[in-house]
Amino acid sequence: MGEEIDVAMKEVRKQVMEKILANGKRMDGRDTSSFREIKIQKGAISTAEGSAMAQIGETKVLAAVKFDVMTPFPDRPTDGVFITNAEHLPLASPLFEPGPPREDSIEMARTVDRAIRSAEIIDLNSFFIEEEKVLGLFVDLYVLNHAGNYTDASTLAATAALMDTKMPKIENAAIVRGEYSGPLPLKDLPVSVTFGQVGNKWIVDPILDEEKVLDTRITIATTEKHVCAIQKAEGWLTKNELLDHIDVAFKNGSELRKLLQS
Amino acid sequence: MGGTSDIKLIVDGKRLDGRTVDELRKIKIQAGVVPAANGSAYIEWGGNKIICGVHGPRECIPKHGANPHRAVIKCRYSMSPFASLEEHGRSGPSRRSIELSKVIREVFENVVITEEFPGTQIDVFIDVLQAEGGTRTASITVAAVALANAGIPMKDLVAAVSGGKGADEIILDLGKLEDNFGQSDMPLAFSAKDKKLLLVQMDGLLTKEEIIKIIEMCEKGGEKIAELQKNALKDVYEKGREEFKL
Amino acid sequence: MERKLVLPGDKIADGNQRIPYAYFENGAMYATLIGFIDEGGRYMPIEKPYKPIRDDIIVGVVTDARHAGYSVDLGHSSGGFISSRFVRTKLQLGDIIIAKIRSVSETGGIMDLGDVKRLPQGKIVRFPTSKIPRLIGKKSSMLELIKKYGKGDIVVGNNGYVWISDRSDIPKIMKAMNIIDEKAHTSGLTDTITQFFEKGE
Repeated sequence: MGEEIDVAMKEVRKQVMEKILANGKRMDGRDTSSFREIKIQKGAISTAEGSAMAQIGETKVLAAVKFDVMTPFPDRPTDGVFITNAEHLPLASPLFEPGPPREDSIEMARTVDRAIRSAEIIDLNSFFIEEEKVLGLFVDLYVLNHAGNYTDASTLAATAALMDTKMPKIENAAIVRGEYSGPLPLKDLPVSVTFGQVGNKWIVDPILDEEKVLDTRITIATTEKHVCAIQKAEGWLTKNELLDHIDVAFKNGSELRKLLQS
Repeated sequence: MGGTSDIKLIVDGKRLDGRTVDELRKIKIQAGVVPAANGSAYIEWGGNKIICGVHGPRECIPKHGANPHRAVIKCRYSMSPFASLEEHGRSGPSRRSIELSKVIREVFENVVITEEFPGTQIDVFIDVLQAEGGTRTASITVAAVALANAGIPMKDLVAAVSGGKGADEIILDLGKLEDNFGQSDMPLAFSAKDKKLLLVQMDGLLTKEEIIKIIEMCEKGGEKIAELQKNALKDVYEKGREEFKL
Repeated sequence: MERKLVLPGDKIADGNQRIPYAYFENGAMYATLIGFIDEGGRYMPIEKPYKPIRDDIIVGVVTDARHAGYSVDLGHSSGGFISSRFVRTKLQLGDIIIAKIRSVSETGGIMDLGDVKRLPQGKIVRFPTSKIPRLIGKKSSMLELIKKYGKGDIVVGNNGYVWISDRSDIPKIMKAMNIIDEKAHTSGLTDTITQFFEKGE
């Protein structure tokens, strides 16, 4: 109940949303800079080397980490490989159709990938096994329920899954499945905060109804002290707006990091 | 299907995980876990973790695929790349997934009252998050709950379980190793009320008498499973929204 | 007789009777949807997809405007259609309308709509059709309650689309509707909702 219909005219829905926001509160009672309730569950999938499910409100994303032995990229022969994939499961929303990944799910995967890779939280050099053999780390992001802002839920799930990850035992240049050699060392914990603009109001963590009427959307990922990824989707913003958002992203970011560590 | 291994599947009447020959693995079912779907359910069956979402009846796409007399059921069974302890899987449907999608759809074509919604399609999406043998019977079991949760009229609920043969004994609900190293695997699905067979597959070698034993064992197992399905559906109304944890 | 929850395949009556959403087999009637058998022995499904019938009042959104008429989204696999002959005011894309179903095609195709009125600007929200009687209440008592505390107008369509005027306290009304959705099968709902409005929780 409560989902807005896929109306042809975004403008009409937007006007109604602007009226609601003009009163200072959002449809679910939040103020413009608050996240919905967040829950993180680590270690959900035992067949993966690491996993976590993150829930932001009703949006649920599962992240799972798996290792395989692979050949390295020719220009980085001693570095491991890190690959992020995302699936917008068709069960998760009437808006997701079955079939090959579409631009939204690819953008989501690449944004989360960028945040983790830029943050350099994993020492890919430590994934070297022997010549022509390195460890590949796969992160799969599965959206299980789409109620808006799967991007931030994905970053949270991915980072939590990496925190949950155990390095596999390697014997004779092959992985011994089911045996582990210790936790994956992480240097920082990237998180992301997504901002949306409706008319002249900015909101944090848009729900699905709000997402459908946004003029501008931008995701900012941060580590403890740095911005590590920015992805602007539709719309535009001013430099000052961006700088303001970065402040909010750091602030919300440290709250999110606390949740990851609890 | 092998049988050529040193693994002793049954020792002193106990199977590898301690079960007796006619015991089910631990099963837990929760309905209504995906609010964005019309109906949904999640099942943990031994080491299997499977989620199912149902959308529809909705407009049939493509339009020319619509049936003017009844709803078309579309089923997609999918194994996630992290579902097995082995390598990271490939994306896209495997031939096995395509076959399972078909036989699962054919189970529900028997019980869903499709004449109620001519010209539409009903989508059943099954995603295996973690696999440990018997994913198709667990998938059918969870999909039946999701369909009922979606308010799609059905003649009956459907419970599914496999029977088979390992170490020369008839066993119920094969786990992964029993599936790999046992002598025969026979997944079955039953309509809860009158035990009509809605899924029948098998591999390996079985005599007719062995098949009779398997069916009887599975019927009994199916009754227990149907109870769990009903409780999961009742809990939605009697206990309200429960937290969803994998 | 106590209220009992029934599931698809459960027996609900003997003999062959005309009970919606039940089927006859082997001398008895069986349920096809999760529902309750109430104290009077009646079978009431809890969730059922909307089945449009003639004369139903519906709320919809105009999604296409052509010379011959307008296409209307009704949240159903069958769309709605308003022939230009049956509406006087010119409608636009995105307009929200209230109308009556004039006819439903047999193969579940388009529904012809008449008695069309345009509604002022507002939000459309989806509500499970089987629970709409509880949203309206006996003699519209629940609806009046919501309009009073929500400080605005609401129109409920049989098709499960509810229009809420954008002059009302939309977040509050949506929260109330959420409670009704979750507790539709319980009693004392009017008190629960009154309490919610008065205490704001």
